Amino acid sequence: MTDSHVVFAIVLAVALGYFSYNVQRLIGYLRIGRLDDSRWGNIPARLWNLIRIGIFQEKIFRDSVAGPMHAAIFWGFCVLGAGTLEAILEGVIPGFSYRDLLIDPAYRFYALNQDLWGALVLAAVGFALFRRLTKRVKRLMGAETHPNDPLLILSWIGALMVTMFLAGAFLYVGYADEPLVRPLTYAVSRAFTWVNPSTARLLAEDFWWAHVLLVLGFLNYLPFSKHLHVVASLPNVFLSNTSGPGQVGVMQPMDLEGDAEVFGAKDVDQLSWKSLMDGFACTECGRCTSVCPANLTGKPLSPRKIMINVRERLEQKAPFLTGDTTYQKGDRDAVMAKSLLDDFITEEELWSCTTCRACVQECPVSLDQLSVILELRRNLVLGESRFPEEVMPAFESMEQRGSPWAFDPGDRGKWADGMNIPTMAEMAERGERPEVLYWVGCAGSFDDRAKKTTVAFAKILQAAEVKFAILGQEEKCNGDPARRMGNEYLYQMLAKDNVETLNKYGVRTVVTACPHCFHQLGNEYPQFGGDYEVVHHSTYIASLLAAGRIPIVEALHAPVRTFTYHDSCYLGRYNGVYEAPRDVIKRALPIVNLVEMERSKDKGLCCGAGGGRMWMEEKTGKRINAERADEAIATGADAIAVACPFCMTMLNDSVTSRDSHVAVYDIAEVVADRLA
Amino acid sequence: MKIAVCIKRVPDMDVRFKIAPSGLTVDESGLKFDMSDFDGYAVEVAVQITEKLGAGEVTVISLGADNVQETLRKALSIGAHKAVQLKHDAPVSDGYAIATALAAELQGGGYDLVMFGRMAVDTQNRSTGVLTAELLGMPVISAISKLDVENGMVKARRELEGAFELVETSLPAVVTIDEGIARPRYPSLKGIMAAKKKPLEVKPAQLGEQRYVLEKLELPAERAAGRIIGEGKDAVPELVRLLKEEAKVL
Repeated sequence: MTDSHVVFAIVLAVALGYFSYNVQRLIGYLRIGRLDDSRWGNIPARLWNLIRIGIFQEKIFRDSVAGPMHAAIFWGFCVLGAGTLEAILEGVIPGFSYRDLLIDPAYRFYALNQDLWGALVLAAVGFALFRRLTKRVKRLMGAETHPNDPLLILSWIGALMVTMFLAGAFLYVGYADEPLVRPLTYAVSRAFTWVNPSTARLLAEDFWWAHVLLVLGFLNYLPFSKHLHVVASLPNVFLSNTSGPGQVGVMQPMDLEGDAEVFGAKDVDQLSWKSLMDGFACTECGRCTSVCPANLTGKPLSPRKIMINVRERLEQKAPFLTGDTTYQKGDRDAVMAKSLLDDFITEEELWSCTTCRACVQECPVSLDQLSVILELRRNLVLGESRFPEEVMPAFESMEQRGSPWAFDPGDRGKWADGMNIPTMAEMAERGERPEVLYWVGCAGSFDDRAKKTTVAFAKILQAAEVKFAILGQEEKCNGDPARRMGNEYLYQMLAKDNVETLNKYGVRTVVTACPHCFHQLGNEYPQFGGDYEVVHHSTYIASLLAAGRIPIVEALHAPVRTFTYHDSCYLGRYNGVYEAPRDVIKRALPIVNLVEMERSKDKGLCCGAGGGRMWMEEKTGKRINAERADEAIATGADAIAVACPFCMTMLNDSVTSRDSHVAVYDIAEVVADRLA
Repeated sequence: MKIAVCIKRVPDMDVRFKIAPSGLTVDESGLKFDMSDFDGYAVEVAVQITEKLGAGEVTVISLGADNVQETLRKALSIGAHKAVQLKHDAPVSDGYAIATALAAELQGGGYDLVMFGRMAVDTQNRSTGVLTAELLGMPVISAISKLDVENGMVKARRELEGAFELVETSLPAVVTIDEGIARPRYPSLKGIMAAKKKPLEVKPAQLGEQRYVLEKLELPAERAAGRIIGEGKDAVPELVRLLKEEAKVL
């Protein structure tokens, strides 16, 4: 063992020791978060997420420019990791080389890959730097970001590659018998043939030192950088629930009976530890913010800022809670007096969210920005009774009348007058049971425009001879607006009432035309003992049409109509229903030209009504529904189809305000219009 | 500063009512109940006064059957400190009988300020507050839209048609609250939880003599549907005839 091996062994021990100290420190920070045991179940599904989202970079590729660039760097890192390990072992064990371990074709393959991936990473890093420095990529900018950090990191990676190539090149110059297994490195070495071999051997060693020191430095810089994602993102993808296992987009119930002092989250220590980890895994790539309907239309919300704030506040507060004196900055009382809510994230940011889930969908490392927003909203409403004042009547009416709009609950079934539709109570009295319960929802029961959809769908069911019933006066708001606005107390009151009603009648299958009701009844009511098969009317109509159960008029010479379909968030991103409504339009209108908007399916833009925004004023920036209507009108379609009463209201209002002749239909109306 | 607020449990008014078989009350099935709107403003104002002073106590009082406890809890959840139910199961229509029971409770309670809504939104009698003040021998300012309590004095504003007046009296006093003064806050879950632990005392109501009784409650006759008598000029003579003979407005 030479002196340099001893020196390196000490350097390595210090570097690994300091890195592991910092990792443990950060894990200690996560421990201040709320317990969350929903992160370990269904390991196979989690491994599958890790493979497709992590290893295969599935979400990274959603951006066709940054995707291949990042994948090259990521896969390069995986491959080059083997080389880094070899370099480090070389440093500790005299004369170590994979050459002695790997039988020849394997070693050649390894070495060739080091060479090629090294070049690819260098090219990708070069492109990334070029992109950051010369192109003003909007999503990479933003007041909340740390713009110099990526430049440093990219240069650092570049330097890692350069030192790797130079160390190898000088080996070729210094040792004539070095096997030619790294063609690119060899090519580089040709530029240095003028160097004296003994000098080259020293230079090879110097560049080896430079390379391993850069590696160890990089490792130890990570815990202080946004590039902590290098370490945190793969575990984060594994632990995330945003792509399953289980139904996505489901809010977890709060225990309202206990003696909780704080409701929801006001500060980082009241968030789940997983939300805190999201802060560490965030790469500040801005994909979330670039698809956020609120952000796109000039509202103050940026989902990326939410995640950055979580990490900032965590790193500010956690040292005081864990007794980590080294990282305690500022006065204890001043730090403790602050909170994530208000001091970092404002009320206005939180109320701008439509809960459309586009941010969560887009995040390449499976962060859940939405859960932080919703936990903070819970604190605003349940803890402090702070919310936009125009929401108060909706809350009061949901509580008093079981609907966010102040209609007489006795009028809920009025749309069905004269249609000969029985209520569950009437059927039960006759000792009958319907094939399906048609859950109408508040919009479908009280909103004049939505009532037309309700009637249309009921006519379809009748034409298809489906034996169905409604609840009439016994139906109440599903509670989604209350829950998404943070009012879990009111939500649970409504949900439990509804579950009681549904269970009383032994309901098994529910069909509804409202994606919010659909999501609640199907995905969130199981939390309260409500287990039903819930089908959205788009899927239901599609299957009735496919089975030939709906008599439709033949119209061979009908004019060609151009439709564009607007995806509802709670149907699409929350439940993955994209094809059924499109299928319905195509089947119902034999001569139809279905055109897609620029943002459609899982990239669809929200109408602006979700997350309780339906009951809030939209004062800042462009109206989200106007943005969406403009996009729809730009397709040149003569009609917009929707499958949600809220999308209907939002788009209808906006299309009307634009003096456009484009009509907005629910898919049920499209079909009902063609009933024989 | 001790404040008492007298509140009433009333049905949600945005529904179509049915009359109960007795013919004396509305049919309560399917109805939702809450604090009368003006009483809610009064509770909010009272809570704001104690919050501003950083001291004081708000007691809410309601007369009725046990279901008024829900209404009292709601008042506690938005910041009142304690509650008293004056238990009386049968409905009472005469404000004087109620005022007697309230005065009996308020007398000797040491209250500096007694507040009422200017009327209950269901029966709209407007009498209980002022009658109680008279029985207590306190000055009363009714239907106020602004209230300042300072140095033992009450300064209140009253809205008139196109004008307003400022009225002043000394404590102890009774005020009845009009709208526009304050919106009751939405109860936070924290408030609802805290309300469960606040004291709620139940006492028998010492009801006074009922000097009138409700004889009958009736809904107005349903309005007949409109009629289309025709279009254009030709319909005018018929319209004129109907306005003269049926509607008798011409």
